[in-house]
Amino acid sequence: MQPDLAEAGLILLSFIIPLLLVILAMPRSIRYLTRSGRVVDDVHKQPPTKVPFPVGPLLFLGALAGEIFVYIAFGSLVPLAVIGGAAIAFAIGLADDLFVLGGKTKPLLLLFAAVPLVVSGVFQKNLYESNLTFPLLGHIGEHFTIYILLVLVAFPVVANAFNMMDSFNGQISGFTLLTSLALLFGVVLHAIADSSFSLARVASVLPLVAIAAGFFVFNRYPSKAFDGDSGALMLGAMFASLAITGGVEIAAMIAIVPAILNSFYTLSSARGFVERRRMAARPTHLGEDGKMYPSLEPSSPNTLIRLILLSGPLDERDLVKSIFILTAVACLLSGAISVLTWVH
Amino acid sequence: MKLASLIGIEAVAFLLIIGETYLFFMAIIPLGPVPHSLAVYTAITLLKVGLTFGLGILWLAVMVSLTRLYVRSRLRTRTPTPSS
Repeated sequence: MQPDLAEAGLILLSFIIPLLLVILAMPRSIRYLTRSGRVVDDVHKQPPTKVPFPVGPLLFLGALAGEIFVYIAFGSLVPLAVIGGAAIAFAIGLADDLFVLGGKTKPLLLLFAAVPLVVSGVFQKNLYESNLTFPLLGHIGEHFTIYILLVLVAFPVVANAFNMMDSFNGQISGFTLLTSLALLFGVVLHAIADSSFSLARVASVLPLVAIAAGFFVFNRYPSKAFDGDSGALMLGAMFASLAITGGVEIAAMIAIVPAILNSFYTLSSARGFVERRRMAARPTHLGEDGKMYPSLEPSSPNTLIRLILLSGPLDERDLVKSIFILTAVACLLSGAISVLTWVH
Repeated sequence: MKLASLIGIEAVAFLLIIGETYLFFMAIIPLGPVPHSLAVYTAITLLKVGLTFGLGILWLAVMVSLTRLYVRSRLRTRTPTPSS
């Protein structure tokens, strides 16, 4: 499907509006949070610095503006379903930022983030297809019940996986930017291959790319703002919704393999959902030389960060660079999957 | 390259995810003939649940084994930390 000039302009605006909103409003948001004492220690600095927190509400506003623009421009329910799920995940994250929810409460509550997408599917029949498309092999048959169950499970899994990637300066924003670009690539190829695929699905991905790019400017090393769980859970829920509405579930799953591995390592070594503030031991520690070292405690969780550091200590900037390399490799694999799926 | 082993683990996770998802949808879900009795239906359902868990356990087992191998090999060559 090829957009005409007006549609191309609308698609461009669905990227520019949230990007400008985040970039222009972030300094004001940072000043407000600092003035009102909403700052946390950046514990990976020697000595710890104070960083304004949480800017998740601003990221949500950016996503809201972008998705509402897409809804007005294209008249599809896709952006409303996407922002509906994001809003629920954002509210759960904000509650966690303000009051600290239990380790098991968050994943359970996040099941509700799937509701807007599932309910919107009742009103717009083609909102998502209840089947998967495999590289080279094409569509598998319709499996409505199984697919809906997987959609319900996807939201807590993906949102928590994103949240667990939010530990270091620039980590969550860079990770989201890379993976959302891989997602966008898959959705664009899907749109080119399938003439019935609406442009709204492509445009709906752009606000996620935009807020991740805008946030990266302020979140990269040394961070001037942290998003909090309200931001990370919302980004994860948006990613899950967009993968489903874009029909690129497999490519999206591959792009976030580093986050899936990180969650798996943490959950398996912490033996279940444990709130990170209550973990018995930290997976890493900051050395006197300002570098990160893997913890030698037997009870410490085996996170992806610890595995990276087992190859040698790294400062925060190089550590985040390593995570980006692993993410970029996963995104390249995801891109290959998208090409093999949609280019014939 | 320090990250080569982790990229290898990532590639295995990728191949298993693709392969197992395909097996789940193409082999496990359509499994068996249309059941004529409750007993056959129950048996087929249990078999499907068992096979699905089997796929999950296979993924976990491979990942745990690879990670253990990785951690063991890295700890052998690890340099001591200045604060521990």
